[in-house]
Amino acid sequence: MPVVKVLTDGIGEFDLRDIAVYRERGGYVQLRRALTELTPADVADITSKSGLRGRGGAGFPTGRKWSFLPNNGRPRYMVCNCDEAEPGTFKDHMLLEETPHQVLEGILLGTYAIGSHHAFIYIRGEFERGYHIFMQALADARAAGFVGEKLFGTGYSVEVTVQRGAGAYICGEETALLNSLEGRRGEPRLKPPFPAVKGLYGEPTVVNNVETLAFLPHLLARGAEWFAKVGPERSPGYKIVSVSGHVKAPGNYEVPLGTPLRELLALAGGPRDGRRIVAIQPGGGSSACLFEEHLDLGYDFDTMAANGTMLGSGAVVFFDDSTDFVVAAQALVRFYAHESCGQCTPCREGGHWLEVTLERILNGGGLDSDIDMLVAVSHQMTGINLCPLGDSIEPFLASVVKRFESQFRSYVRSPQREAIPV
Amino acid sequence: MSDAERDFAAVAAQVEPEARRLMARYPAGRERSALLPILHEFQNVEGWVSPEAMALCAQWLGEPLSVVESTASFYTLFHRRPVGRYMLQPCRNLSCSINGAGAIMARFRKQLGIGHLQTTDDGLFSYEEAECLAACDRAPCMQVNLQFVYDLTEEKVDAMLAAMRAGTYDVAPLPQNAKPGKDWSVAQETGRKSAGARGVSDPNDPGGFGDASGLSMTRRLAERPYPIEVRPTKERLVADGAARLAAPPSLPSEH
Repeated sequence: MPVVKVLTDGIGEFDLRDIAVYRERGGYVQLRRALTELTPADVADITSKSGLRGRGGAGFPTGRKWSFLPNNGRPRYMVCNCDEAEPGTFKDHMLLEETPHQVLEGILLGTYAIGSHHAFIYIRGEFERGYHIFMQALADARAAGFVGEKLFGTGYSVEVTVQRGAGAYICGEETALLNSLEGRRGEPRLKPPFPAVKGLYGEPTVVNNVETLAFLPHLLARGAEWFAKVGPERSPGYKIVSVSGHVKAPGNYEVPLGTPLRELLALAGGPRDGRRIVAIQPGGGSSACLFEEHLDLGYDFDTMAANGTMLGSGAVVFFDDSTDFVVAAQALVRFYAHESCGQCTPCREGGHWLEVTLERILNGGGLDSDIDMLVAVSHQMTGINLCPLGDSIEPFLASVVKRFESQFRSYVRSPQREAIPV
Repeated sequence: MSDAERDFAAVAAQVEPEARRLMARYPAGRERSALLPILHEFQNVEGWVSPEAMALCAQWLGEPLSVVESTASFYTLFHRRPVGRYMLQPCRNLSCSINGAGAIMARFRKQLGIGHLQTTDDGLFSYEEAECLAACDRAPCMQVNLQFVYDLTEEKVDAMLAAMRAGTYDVAPLPQNAKPGKDWSVAQETGRKSAGARGVSDPNDPGGFGDASGLSMTRRLAERPYPIEVRPTKERLVADGAARLAAPPSLPSEH
């Protein structure tokens, strides 16, 4: 089994929230080394060469993202996105609560690498415990001289501000997050300009995921080569995969990218007794389903994309043959309808009416044409919104309607059916 | 000075030093960034975000009240009406719903006698079916006053409610300085975000009858099924673009 321990090393064995324990295990050594021995360009160079791709969902190469910052002499900001809310994802939640110092060291290294002096971490409002844990970690790190003015006797100063969200999935979208950080409604902005050019307060800004930044101390310690040679060439490295659904041992598993889905299933204890896995949602609520014939596919960015879905945030949900996919589809569609910020009409209206239509089907009042309408409406919502939220309903809905159409049809063809107005 | 005003003066005095500290964390001129943290502070003290709190925020930040209200109303964790002492939020998203969240939610509704986004008459419980709480490995899960409770069963629900009623539950109750009404979500009162969707599909009466526009839509659909033509997005956009190029929209003539 390809079990590896990089980011998850020591979790469950040591109290990594204690700064002394974290330092004993090599913590903050790389921060000191970077600030005293390496230039920001060196850190950025190692990150680029490692091939690290963003772990938040889009999978954009981290080094390349940083390289988009213009050299215009304006202040720059580093923003760590810990607004984890993609259905099925719970890795950042774990990293924040179990290894806050690793997250903080990653943020500080990233901030140094892009030549910024002010970092923000935006923590999902529901993670109240994680917020307090991180505040404590930050206070400890400040007391130990890792955050603040003129660190390690160099001229480099850095400030870290912790912001709590207040319940809005859309704030995980980077421009919505920036609006929320500015004290506004969390509505996504029109892109371009991208945050690298005009981000927080209109200044050049990098927004990186928690897991992405947490890799930085390890990249510095072990070198770009160590990371780049793991897994497929174009999506190298390790990934924490949040496995949930119908498995015996759901949880976070750290694996090399490219690990077959079947091995992930085995790591998570396999299917429940007497059950067979019939579908897999490989990349969070916004990804299309794969099916049992895809279990041997390698789990990495490019293989998933080549098969019409995505790796996304690394949340794998397994469904066994007991699943009612109409109920599953309703849970997800209701989520996107609820979380639409309401700016773009297709997403606001489409999501709501899809939710109501699915409810009607579930309550036995659906029409045959409803099922085709679900696919058509979700498709028409795609590609015409400011952000990808409106595009997120179609992949799952269309893939399960196509595969499990008989389940949907059986709801609308029940003998006592009488159309219920939506 | 009325009782309510005197109470709020105490709240304001308690929150102000922290609010000033929060405002100083941001670059000069960017104090508005402190809005969410200050609203959290008020809610920690009052149990909700009162109109007085929002007005005071606006004053401190030098922003119009409408800005503060519109921002506060965007976020589901800010309660702009008083809520119960225990905010019960079971997850209803995918991983939980395929692992038995439906039975858990039904149990809560039955035991509490209330539905989604409602508060019990005694002001003890508020209930909201929440979206993915990022704890799918321990599904079905929930939050009680933002503290996680994992691996829910119906027995666990009963025991939890009994402990809360007896005052022995190990999560601290929320502060409560005003009596909550039945509905605490303002969004629920003003209708959904969708146009014409007011009163349609009440979450506490699923499948219930809606307004007439839905009825006429259903009739139309029954008579004339939806014309389906599904093409991949890229292909569709290319085709649309080609059509546009072939017949460019005419520009308005100059006067």
